[in-house]
Amino acid sequence: MTAIGHERVEPGAAAREGVPVLAATGLVKRFGSLTAVDDVSLQIEPGETYGLLGPNGAGKTTIISMIAGLLGPDAGTITVAGVPMSTASVAARRHIGLVPQDLAIYPELSAKDNLTFFARLQGMRGSALGARVTEVLELIGLTDRAKGPSKKFSGGMKRRLNIGIGLLHQPDLLILDEPTVGVDPQSRNQILESVETLATEGMAVLYTTHYMEEAERLCDRIAIIDSGRVQAEGTRDELIELTGGVDTIILRGSGELAAAESAVAGIAAVRHVHRERGSLTLQVAGAPTAVAPVVGAATQAGMRLSDVEITRPDLESVFLHLTGKALRD
Amino acid sequence: MRNVLTMVLYDLRQKLKDGSVLAFAVLVPLALMSVMNLVFGGATNVELKPITVAVAVPADDELAAVVPQVLGSIPEVSGMRITVTEATPDEIPGRVEDGSAGMGVLVPEGFSTALLGGEGPEVEVILGDDAGITGQVVTSILGTTLAQVTAGAQAADAAVALEAPLDQVASIAQAAAQEAPEPQWREGETASEQLNAEESVVAGQAGMFLLFTVGFGVLALVTERGQGTLARLMSMPMPHWLITVAKALVSFTLGLASMTVLLSAGTLMFGDVDFGSPIAVAVLVVLVVTATTSLMFIIAKVARTAEQASIAQAIIAIALGMSGGAFFPVTSTGLVGSLLALNPVKSFTSGLGITAGGGGVGDLGGVALTMVGFTVVSLLIAWLLPSRKDAL
Repeated sequence: MTAIGHERVEPGAAAREGVPVLAATGLVKRFGSLTAVDDVSLQIEPGETYGLLGPNGAGKTTIISMIAGLLGPDAGTITVAGVPMSTASVAARRHIGLVPQDLAIYPELSAKDNLTFFARLQGMRGSALGARVTEVLELIGLTDRAKGPSKKFSGGMKRRLNIGIGLLHQPDLLILDEPTVGVDPQSRNQILESVETLATEGMAVLYTTHYMEEAERLCDRIAIIDSGRVQAEGTRDELIELTGGVDTIILRGSGELAAAESAVAGIAAVRHVHRERGSLTLQVAGAPTAVAPVVGAATQAGMRLSDVEITRPDLESVFLHLTGKALRD
Repeated sequence: MRNVLTMVLYDLRQKLKDGSVLAFAVLVPLALMSVMNLVFGGATNVELKPITVAVAVPADDELAAVVPQVLGSIPEVSGMRITVTEATPDEIPGRVEDGSAGMGVLVPEGFSTALLGGEGPEVEVILGDDAGITGQVVTSILGTTLAQVTAGAQAADAAVALEAPLDQVASIAQAAAQEAPEPQWREGETASEQLNAEESVVAGQAGMFLLFTVGFGVLALVTERGQGTLARLMSMPMPHWLITVAKALVSFTLGLASMTVLLSAGTLMFGDVDFGSPIAVAVLVVLVVTATTSLMFIIAKVARTAEQASIAQAIIAIALGMSGGAFFPVTSTGLVGSLLALNPVKSFTSGLGITAGGGGVGDLGGVALTMVGFTVVSLLIAWLLPSRKDAL
């Protein structure tokens, strides 16, 4: 797949100095007795890829529905490129490109007609419209299939068209709602590459996912969402710090495990050792540097090693640490 | 409004590519019309057949002669073909039995005495197997006429008992006779609101399938909510209400096109179809398309999925279509009749009855008011129903 690129014909309002692309403060949304979003605040700077990471039902889609002006918040404020966003705000919606989780395309229409239709609704006309549609078709790699009905496209092609529509008007903020759900691994990787390309070209991206590895790979900053609340927010490393930054080394083997346990416990980086039949599990500070002395001490004590496993904390660990449950629960 | 035009044009383009619109809006109703005309064509058209009436009148009863006179005058006022023949009381049952007379009327002895005495004289009517509706109509006319004569005689009798002057007795009797119910014969007038069998099928089927056709516009809101394009449309830089307006216009356009094709094709395809003034029919079409489109907004608000919307639409279309006369003429009085009259399909077929009978736009006040009221109430209900929260 051709990576989806982004060329700014004219700088958006957010490109102006000091104006965040998105500033959401104290967002609250209730559906009857259910508080779907509870006091959520986010800020995204130009060129930043920001992730909303959380399990299904955490409130991610409700948050982006409010940011895109589809739903009005019960409390809180949103500005996009400095323009207040509401369900009635036409001006603010010019700055966003929404890519819904569903394949929001018209299957009876061709790729070109889908793009032309939404480009018209974005206010494009005449030769500029035609040029931009051609450009986006090229960007999403569908030039050769521009005229065929999109219902005959493969899943990956439909996904690319779905994203291409969101890019038509070169928005300041591209909102991608779980763009890889139900996608095969190859197409998924292509989509992730495309988002990386967009980010390097300066577009701000709000990316929602419940896949920890996607958030880790793509996002400059991540908000961990659960039960409608932001549980934590920061860069990947900042979030991992919340777990204490402790790595895990697992030594498997036979021989003198008790002696090995005593030997490794004396190493300064080792915080905790747990012995089971055939293995030692160590909590250490900085596994990459600690692993050599740990292995040396264990073998010197008479343990015959068959396997060494190093596990570093990830966002899954962070989510577990913050909420007490696994991310995919 | 350019965005509305863009949405309408692209929507219509998709609908035309989707064969189901053409099928539901034109092909299926035309096919059903043809089948129903083959099966039921003419079955509901009432044709008054000629009838021979054998009458037995007592020879010495002068007033009894009024009965064959009344029967003989029926063809003059109604155009019904009635042949009156004299017979003896004994012959009448046999003549009715062997079919040489469709019905027999026996005026009993003492007819004048009963009449002059203020009593209601009795006349025996024997209907043959083939008398049909003509026999019933003749019986009804005869009964009404006798009631008139009896009323006059009773009034005269009362006046005489009160010793009124003779000239006043005559005028009192005449007035009383005129007060009694008088048989009326009207044919094909505006107020009769009658469609023939072919017209009923064309009008009813067009009305019923209209409820499917208009769904392709407004109910697309439900489909698009499911497939995500509604969220995308709502994220475009335009007021959200423009999307609703565009879908309504798609419904309206498809409905107008469908009705124009169906009514025109029905008129051309079937022999005895004439709905009258094209302008008045056009007014009716606009009103019924508007009313049915408004109903779709309620379904769009209530249905969670496209499947639910389709089921609800089908139930409503068949219920309103049937009660509106899509399969057979439906007439009711009282509360049921009043409720049926609120049905836009029923109002539409009633309106076509008026135009088919020669009525113009000015005669459509009642049905127009009903359909406008239906539209307003439907839109109000749809507006008051809570919106769905899951745009994405």
